[in-house]
Amino acid sequence: MEVKIQEQDGNMVAILSGRLDTAAVPNTEKAMGPLYECEKQDIIIDCTDLTYISSGGLRIFLSILKVAEKKGEHVYIKGVTDNVRAIFAMTGFINIFEFK
Amino acid sequence: MEQYRKLLPTLEKLSTDVYEMLTHALSEQGIYVTAIERRVKSEKSLAGKLELKGAKYKTVDDITDLVGLRVITFYTDEVDKVAAIVKRLFDIDWQESVDKRKLHQLDAFGYNSLHYICRLKEGGPRFEIQMRTALQHAWSTIEHDIGYKGAVKLPPEFRRQFSRLSGMLELADDEFARLRITMTEYRRQMESLVKSGQLSDVLLSAETFRSYLELHPFDRLNKRIAAVNQAEIYPVSMMSYLPVLESFGLETLGNLQTFIDENSDDAYQLALSQLAITDLDILSSSAALQYLCLVYVLKHDGGREGLKAVYDTINGKNDANGMLADMMLEQAATLSFMQRKLEGEK
Repeated sequence: MEVKIQEQDGNMVAILSGRLDTAAVPNTEKAMGPLYECEKQDIIIDCTDLTYISSGGLRIFLSILKVAEKKGEHVYIKGVTDNVRAIFAMTGFINIFEFK
Repeated sequence: MEQYRKLLPTLEKLSTDVYEMLTHALSEQGIYVTAIERRVKSEKSLAGKLELKGAKYKTVDDITDLVGLRVITFYTDEVDKVAAIVKRLFDIDWQESVDKRKLHQLDAFGYNSLHYICRLKEGGPRFEIQMRTALQHAWSTIEHDIGYKGAVKLPPEFRRQFSRLSGMLELADDEFARLRITMTEYRRQMESLVKSGQLSDVLLSAETFRSYLELHPFDRLNKRIAAVNQAEIYPVSMMSYLPVLESFGLETLGNLQTFIDENSDDAYQLALSQLAITDLDILSSSAALQYLCLVYVLKHDGGREGLKAVYDTINGKNDANGMLADMMLEQAATLSFMQRKLEGEK
């Protein structure tokens, strides 16, 4: 599981690749730390190369969303595969995030 | 003018202090106003006033509106509430204060506002506070723009038009205030009906749906679904589902309760078919409502388009919602409620 964080067009972008399964959660959460600290920037989580997301992965996304919303920032999820989208749908989180 | 220039820093401080005192007091009392405007009279404006009526003023203290504030309320009844607060905060010069709302002649046009001339309790220069509604303010601004108070006397037919318009706005102000009271009473009634379980009398709307959600009507089904994987239930808003429920023709909270009762078992079966083969142990608190809506569509021949419409409504239109609809249709095909439906159709 790889996480790359970069700034793009004034947004904070996290590019995820691989499987965000339970084992990958601790390192992924650490790597996504800058997303909690950004100020006055929208967050884009690029999931184009994310093949799977576990409950732990959903929890990371939810906590990023919670922190961002308090600061008035948006969180967009980009490039979700059918498999990952289905996980958002079956857990009822499909309309909590803004999908690009 | 020299006295004015010396007094200017005091006047500016006075303007700020009064503004802050008013803002704080209104906020404490929970009175929301559209605006509180303030100004210190400019030198040019003062010069103009003195040119017109200079003989009236011996010292700068004779001028009561060097500092002026204007509180613009939403409703006519709030003008009196603001006035009560102003009376509590400041000393009122009753000789100079005017309730212009009571001054109209029957053939006069323009309706105005409440003007208090005040002083801080610890003394200092006087200042004026005008209190009026948004409509009164709009009227005042327009008539100022049209210049009806100008030197030219207007013919009777113009005066009559102004009078009619003024009357209309006054009526609108009164009606807004009455409507607000009626709506507040309606809301209280609906909340009371919801709390007492008399749901069939309560029309489904954003307000009533919000009240209904306080009864946690989806908790039982959520817990049942969560038990599949011992999932944590993460609280989210369910308001985005209201248009979906309305599209199903649900008109009252009673209809909604029946919708839940009639579809809960099948919604659980659908959720089970999706979640049992995963280890997903976190669910949104809207999961139950989502599955109820999807089951309703399936049982009422909504098909792929109906399912996609649910996702489009809650999530925004997206071609990917078609994929979700296809997936749901495929998984639901083997479930007992779909089998029963097919048997029934034979």
